[in-house]
Amino acid sequence: MSASRRVVVTGVGSVSAGGIGGTAVVAQILAGATSPIRPVRAFETAGWPSRLGAEVDDAALEGLLDPGAARRLSRICRLTVVASRLAVEDSGVPRGPALGLVVGTEHGDFRSSEEFVTGYLKRGPSGLSPMIFPNTVMNSMAAVAAIEIGARGPSITVNQATVAGDLAVARAAALVRDGRALAVVAGGVDEMFAHVYRRLSEMGMLSPAAGRGTEGCRPYEPDHNGVVLGEGATFLVLEDLESARARGAVVHAEIRSAAWGNVPVAPHTAPRRRRDLHSPALRALVSAGVAPSAVGTCYGSGNGDPALDDWELGLLAADRLPEPRSLASRFGQHGGLGALRVAAALDRLNKVALSPTTLVMVHGLARGGCRTALLIGRAA
Amino acid sequence: MTQKEILDELKAIIVERLKFDPRRAAEMTLDTTLPKGIEGSLGLDSLDFIELSVAMEERFGIVIDEGQDLADEFRSFDSLSRWILSKTA
Amino acid sequence: MTRVVVSGLGVVSPYGTGAKTFWTGLASGTCAIRPLTAIDTEGFRSRIGAEVPADVLASLGPSRRRARADRLAMAAAREALADADLSPTDRACAGLFVGAVGGGMLEAEAWYWEETRTGRPSPRIGALRAILPSTHAETLSSRLGLCGPKETVVMACASGAASLALGLDLIRSGAAPLALCGGVDALTRVCFMGFNALRLLDLEPCRPFDRDRKGMSIGEGAAFVVLEEAGHCRARGGRAYAELRGAGMTTDAHHVTSPEPSADGMVRAIEEALTAAGRAPGDVGYVNAHGTGTPQNDRVEALALARVFGPGRVLLSSTKSLVGHTMAAAGSLEAVASVLTLQHGLVPPTANLRVTDPEVPFDCVPETARAVELDAVLSNSFGFGGQNVSLVFGR
Repeated sequence: MSASRRVVVTGVGSVSAGGIGGTAVVAQILAGATSPIRPVRAFETAGWPSRLGAEVDDAALEGLLDPGAARRLSRICRLTVVASRLAVEDSGVPRGPALGLVVGTEHGDFRSSEEFVTGYLKRGPSGLSPMIFPNTVMNSMAAVAAIEIGARGPSITVNQATVAGDLAVARAAALVRDGRALAVVAGGVDEMFAHVYRRLSEMGMLSPAAGRGTEGCRPYEPDHNGVVLGEGATFLVLEDLESARARGAVVHAEIRSAAWGNVPVAPHTAPRRRRDLHSPALRALVSAGVAPSAVGTCYGSGNGDPALDDWELGLLAADRLPEPRSLASRFGQHGGLGALRVAAALDRLNKVALSPTTLVMVHGLARGGCRTALLIGRAA
Repeated sequence: MTQKEILDELKAIIVERLKFDPRRAAEMTLDTTLPKGIEGSLGLDSLDFIELSVAMEERFGIVIDEGQDLADEFRSFDSLSRWILSKTA
Repeated sequence: MTRVVVSGLGVVSPYGTGAKTFWTGLASGTCAIRPLTAIDTEGFRSRIGAEVPADVLASLGPSRRRARADRLAMAAAREALADADLSPTDRACAGLFVGAVGGGMLEAEAWYWEETRTGRPSPRIGALRAILPSTHAETLSSRLGLCGPKETVVMACASGAASLALGLDLIRSGAAPLALCGGVDALTRVCFMGFNALRLLDLEPCRPFDRDRKGMSIGEGAAFVVLEEAGHCRARGGRAYAELRGAGMTTDAHHVTSPEPSADGMVRAIEEALTAAGRAPGDVGYVNAHGTGTPQNDRVEALALARVFGPGRVLLSSTKSLVGHTMAAAGSLEAVASVLTLQHGLVPPTANLRVTDPEVPFDCVPETARAVELDAVLSNSFGFGGQNVSLVFGR
């Protein structure tokens, strides 16, 4: 197996509350200062503990879909199809058996599951819609996106809380490095669905958890008090460097290494003081042959969940990595965030006058211990 | 039921279950063709036809034997509504 | 090329607990598909499936408060790790790949049904915490002390096989010397209702490759294997059941439910696996087919096999004829079946096969297991939505 394949990023496609578009649009959104977090409009939140969210502009989304072709697509499938198509257009990567797809998601298509079972609960067996059933399996977004972009290599869906997008990018980098595909469209998607929002809010996962303090997204800050949900889909195109060069693609940055692992803590917990003896962040540095001091900027997955924020800060400090920045307040917590953080890394590497050897780390940590580290550098 | 009434029911199914735009459905007639592969048709594929069959069974109280080849019957709203009429007579 | 062996097996199947029990059932050609009892099937056309018996479920170690699927996963994973005789240090560097689809949906459905029917909040709401497919990986990694890469793969019916393919890649890349890979699915109302609604279920036990087949039968179960770098296994005195020599992963990108009629996606997956394994079609004596029993799948799969091997040039049989279609567990249950087939030199039969479909130009080993010396076995899993995984195992 070749250890010498290098993985680069040749495109971005994003649908989020911040806007819809490719590399240039995402750069604009990142350069702006406003947060799209506001009271949820898509459903009624009266009486619930939380009411804020970062919602995608549905009209703008629909404008990018052909009504006939999108007829059967559920909303989360629409988000996925548009974002993955934008990424492929941005990159110019060709369709075919050498193109793979990795979709990360935390909640998948609960909207369709609910619609499906409601048909039965209201009208019995004949009320069931065969057409909706395929959407109740989490790989449906990948299945429809693969058709859209003509991805006939491996198409994989990964399910993971908080860092689904990060995990998808790490998985995709491995697919390219291991020779399973020359290019992989990778990222994450989640949508805001009333029932999920409500249950998470009632479980105390959303700001203001325990009713303390004002509702808002304040990652890593002393008064952080929970998560604010967002929605959207963001995909990157990861590509083998040789292959990208051969077709004259624009190379935005290189994924120098990607590692992921697990801290074996109880499910749903984030014990602040638990150390990681197998740090993927350190493994990513070793794999790239650099020291922690080579990392100039770190983007973290901290999103205002107090225990998770604190745990991540502790782990990064233990690895002697820079204090993390969060993008959660710019887009809300959703599966696309990991890919957005990589997009931010690309943007930073190409804009800011950094030394050519400075690297950016995109770090991810979830309750339950899933931990990811992507090391990104300028394309040589 | 008259053929016109059946057509209206089928259009309702097309909107509610097959997610067609109501405005487009309003313009559909008995001559509208259904299956993918016929120029100008609604472009329905196998999954759509299963959904349509289930909805028709519920709406009209008929039983559709999936072993039967019903390609001709499913060609247009005209052929489909006539077939439903024959099954509900 | 780094050699990767299977050093541990763990199974909970409709036959009962344990890889041995699983093999006994397969070898005897016993069909475990019968009327379902775990869920209410009133009013549905197909009412049968291959369930893990209630007394078997009750005997599983993990607490009854846990989701059914979690309990199946835990039992199978524990058995695989014990079978491989791994030390805590070994476990600590193990990757974990879990193929899952339904997660804790069964218990979440019970909550939703109750709340909808009574119109009042139901105390079963706690089930929501364990609803996601990623739940199993969370449970397993924490209880078993696994610190390597952790990943939940949702690839419909190919999930269980995909987890092995990704584990193989991980070990070959040098990122970890071993990985616990497998899949799990418990019965859910959504799955049962959905396949009924799609008219994909046979009213009788499924009859893969039979001329008169009418559809699938659903099932449930869990299977995990320990994949390990061969040198690492040898050095610690571990046992190698078989070698996982290669894996292919492709996508049809054709339709959300129907396979591509030309079988191109399937052919590419099979050929990719063979190439990675360094094997020619002629080296493979037996194919453990995806073999769901639907008119479409079996026809297109037979076409794929004819294109790769040539008509009549390889034996095939369907494990799903015996234990039903166990969804995310299928690929991993069938991987275990493939490994044991190699080990015992015995090909499990296709049950309920009376007249082979003329469009399936192969000996599908009807009803009775057959003794055959084998060097290599191919296992296919072709998921809903056109996601294909093929695995090649060798002695």
